Amino acid sequence: MSELAFISLGAAPAASPLARALAGAAGLRDLSLLGKLEVRGPAAGRTVDAEVIAITPGRALVVCEPDDIAALRESLSGVVIDVTSALAGIELESPELMRRLTDLDLTALPVAGRFAGVPALVSPCDAGFRVFFPQEFGHSVVAIVRDVQDGLR
Amino acid sequence: MRLPPQPGERIDRSRGLTFSFHGRPVPAFAGDTIGSALFASGRRVFSRSFKYHRPRGLLCCSGGCANCMMTVDGTPNVRVCVEPARDGAVVEAQNVIGSLEHDLMSVVDHLGRPFTPVGFYYRTMIRPRRLWPYYERFLRNVAGLGRIDKHGRRTVRTDTEHRRVECLVIGGGISGMRAAADAAARGERVLLVDEGPPRAAPEGFELLAPARAIGIYEGGLVPVDAGSVLYRVRAGRIVVATGALEQPLVFPGNDLVGVMLPDGARRLIRDFAVKPGERAVVVVADDRALETVGYLRSAGVEVAALVDLRERPLEEIRAVGRQGRVRSVQLDDSSFDCDLLVAAGAPQPAYSLLAQAGGAIAYDPAKGSFVPTALPLGTEATGRAGGELGSVAVPRASYDRGGGEKAFVCLCEDVAEKDLKRAHAEGFDSLELAKRYTTVTMGPCQGRLCHLASVRLCAREEGTDEKAIGTTTARPPWAPVKLGLLAGRDQETAKLTAIHHRHEEAGAQMMWTGAWRRPYSYGDAPAEAANVHEAVGVIDVSTLGKLLVLGADATVFLERLYPNRFGDLKVGRVRYGVLSNDAGRIIDDGTIARLGEDRFYVTTTSTGSEGVFEWFEWWNAVWKLDVEIVNLTGALAAVNVAGPQARELLGRLTAIDVSREAFAYLDAQQADVAAVPCLILRIGFVGELGYELHFPSLHGEYLWDTLLERGADLGVKPFGLEAQRILRLEKQHIIVGQDTDSESDLLAANMPWLVKFEKDDFVGKWALEHRRDQGNREQLVGFEMANGAVPPEGAQVVRGGRPAGRVTSSRWSARLNKAVGLAWLPPELAQEDAEFEIRVGGQLERARVRLRPFFDPEGERLRA
Amino acid sequence: MSFLLSCPNCGPRDVNEFAYAGEVTTRPAGTPRLRDLTEYVYFRRNVRGVQREWWYHRFGCELWFLAERDTATNEVVRVELPGA
Repeated sequence: MSELAFISLGAAPAASPLARALAGAAGLRDLSLLGKLEVRGPAAGRTVDAEVIAITPGRALVVCEPDDIAALRESLSGVVIDVTSALAGIELESPELMRRLTDLDLTALPVAGRFAGVPALVSPCDAGFRVFFPQEFGHSVVAIVRDVQDGLR
Repeated sequence: MRLPPQPGERIDRSRGLTFSFHGRPVPAFAGDTIGSALFASGRRVFSRSFKYHRPRGLLCCSGGCANCMMTVDGTPNVRVCVEPARDGAVVEAQNVIGSLEHDLMSVVDHLGRPFTPVGFYYRTMIRPRRLWPYYERFLRNVAGLGRIDKHGRRTVRTDTEHRRVECLVIGGGISGMRAAADAAARGERVLLVDEGPPRAAPEGFELLAPARAIGIYEGGLVPVDAGSVLYRVRAGRIVVATGALEQPLVFPGNDLVGVMLPDGARRLIRDFAVKPGERAVVVVADDRALETVGYLRSAGVEVAALVDLRERPLEEIRAVGRQGRVRSVQLDDSSFDCDLLVAAGAPQPAYSLLAQAGGAIAYDPAKGSFVPTALPLGTEATGRAGGELGSVAVPRASYDRGGGEKAFVCLCEDVAEKDLKRAHAEGFDSLELAKRYTTVTMGPCQGRLCHLASVRLCAREEGTDEKAIGTTTARPPWAPVKLGLLAGRDQETAKLTAIHHRHEEAGAQMMWTGAWRRPYSYGDAPAEAANVHEAVGVIDVSTLGKLLVLGADATVFLERLYPNRFGDLKVGRVRYGVLSNDAGRIIDDGTIARLGEDRFYVTTTSTGSEGVFEWFEWWNAVWKLDVEIVNLTGALAAVNVAGPQARELLGRLTAIDVSREAFAYLDAQQADVAAVPCLILRIGFVGELGYELHFPSLHGEYLWDTLLERGADLGVKPFGLEAQRILRLEKQHIIVGQDTDSESDLLAANMPWLVKFEKDDFVGKWALEHRRDQGNREQLVGFEMANGAVPPEGAQVVRGGRPAGRVTSSRWSARLNKAVGLAWLPPELAQEDAEFEIRVGGQLERARVRLRPFFDPEGERLRA
Repeated sequence: MSFLLSCPNCGPRDVNEFAYAGEVTTRPAGTPRLRDLTEYVYFRRNVRGVQREWWYHRFGCELWFLAERDTATNEVVRVELPGA
């Protein structure tokens, strides 16, 4: 994979792309710096012990701790691309908040679908819901989420 | 003055409150509506009608008609008969000059009547035509509903919430509640919405009130207006239990204050303990209305006459009033003094939602109303909405036997029986035409109280029956809804690069490029451009689309998509490519770098990234080649470092050999730059020695800061899009979408070398062959102005006094000390040194064709 | 427009999650005459009735698929991945 070395993060980055937008926010955990690997191939992501979000039979997103990115990249088969920088992410608790941000069926997660107007990957977690979306939309998504939170107060 | 406590009354007499009406305090109880409290305090006139300013009083007491519309706390068109009374609310009448009792504009009714028949504005205010703006302003001020504050800002927040249920029941009456309970007992997830006051949900299902279904849309989508929240409900099954609407009778004087529908009288008595009048005449057509008599009597109202139309079909009804209020009622040959007339014909099932859902609605002569006859799968009707009306009397189209007063059909729009007759006589002889001409059913009640009556009258005028007339098309919203509820947030979703905040901090003037925010300039675009020529500049090009194409068939894939070759591109080299479609038109352009035997790195224009990705994915869905396409647009940031000092700056930050020999023009190499893994492309959009760095976007700010810091002594400065445009124009580098449009092809756009006709097949080949054989109709060329006037982009090229082309790009170049640009010209003019003219602000300015780049035509600085 | 469209991969979703790409056409094999090329590029049958068409799950799995939809009622009769 050396021809694709430039895509991998290398050193830990200074800050999350959502840091400014999340300043002062409550109830939203920033997941942007988690490791994320896009896996393509017939057995996409199926052989690992990590959070795997299946998108299609030939495509999956593997989410892991930042420290585990390199090791996972080695152990995964197929085409593996480090997309840690591509996706920002937040964790939110309340289903009511989710229902004001997406029309996806929250009982059928994880899915790839529309969230706060942008393409996203939504998966369930112990604390509630994890949402990953393209980082270039980060500011807009957080502004919408915080505005909806205000409406629920 | 209230009646003694009524069983099930809604008011809580232990909790009083006060609101004001035109500054005067009005007492109320918790549970009152503004309308019931006003009525209890003695108010009888609640509004002045839309056109004639006739006094109107409470009629339906259920939020259906427009008679009680007032402005509450600045919000116009509030139906006070259902609006809960709030302590401190400020209530005012609307559409009056003066007071409700003495509206100065009622002159329109008394004097204006001969001049204001239906459609009068099509006839009486036509000439002189130049006076129409004044007529229009007059009409708009005289007729109307409430006023809105043109400078108002949104003060109430609204939200949208998505819901999924197996069963949605619309209407919380007896039938609706039963349907909800039955569905819940079967284990379905049920939501019931009701437009009445709030109440607790029983066991087993969710109940929202007040909540009004706005319409039924495709896919079982029902938007529900709950005031400040819009619920978008997706239901597997929809049960419509919206009941039936009482229908007023058509007779002279039927709009007088004191004429009420039976349910209106019932609500005033039972819900609010208010006596609707002293002495009543009652005309009914079904059992439910007949029950009103019992309520009236128990409230102490004297019932002077009672007619059940099922037993005694009347010939004539006439209400006579004084100062707009009922004083007596004539029924056939008898006359009765009264101050209250309770009257209704056969009720009309509220079928609108069912019709919107695609249900078939037909007239049932036995029921005297339109009922649903066939419903699509997933939609059901229950109770009175479905036509369960009991025994009813079908009323006459009109009970007017020549009484002087108007017999109204549509109270909201002041349309009388005479107006519908006239419309028919003038040739608007179908229901849909008559509706559009008279505006009947188009008012706030949206036909609830007048659609059936107008159908009946149309049938009479056309000499046919209601079945033949049919209904008008039912469309959402079923009830008025505030635009604020439907509007989204006032926020434009923007795409920001990872370096965005550095541009803002540097004071850049930002602009939109599609959905991206990009720096137009940092204050002085010509200076930024000069700095690129003289020292070194950096520009954030993270917005470029970036696609990885890899797999055994990667080369085949690109060969089929692009008109030029990529099979012979060596690993570590970059080539410019332009995508065409099968019509031979240019879609997008970018660079393709070969990273390995089976892997390529493709860039696209900033606004084209999604489109090109979808284009690639679609062709692969068709061809099914062994190739993966990965969209890395957001994964990577990109910065272009350009200028004579670019090599020095890059050299300071990376260990690889960046000399001219080791890193040639159009080479692509991977290396760490300031410890950040990068793909470095030596390309030159802006015409100077330059390197484009592509690297993980999380390192965006760090690398940007490092470039500015470590190059400070070299004079490095950021440059924005405007400077970039000036520089690229000096080199005659095109921008797809700016210099080309959806009709442009590569031959006409002066890039014939990119079209390799000897290839077997590529998308666009056949069309380009035909174009080659036919010759270009126009050609894209560079030009310079004779005397420095910069033509606006889009300016017309003129030749022999006729338009002959257009300017696509133009700028003043300080470096070249002239105005330069690109334009489409007829092929005969597209010769070096050819002269032509461009229209600039009314003048014709001279220009000259230049086929080679204006600046550094040999590309020596680029290849330094 | 609010009908539900079933992505063969993800199941039923609001149609606005998808991009519509028109009637399925057959790309000419070999070099077409100008007339056939023009028809392929610009002409469509545009039926009132069931139409075979391309859709792209833009906000979801990003797969291209085919649907058979009644253009008069928006009833989607069938969806399938290409080459299925």
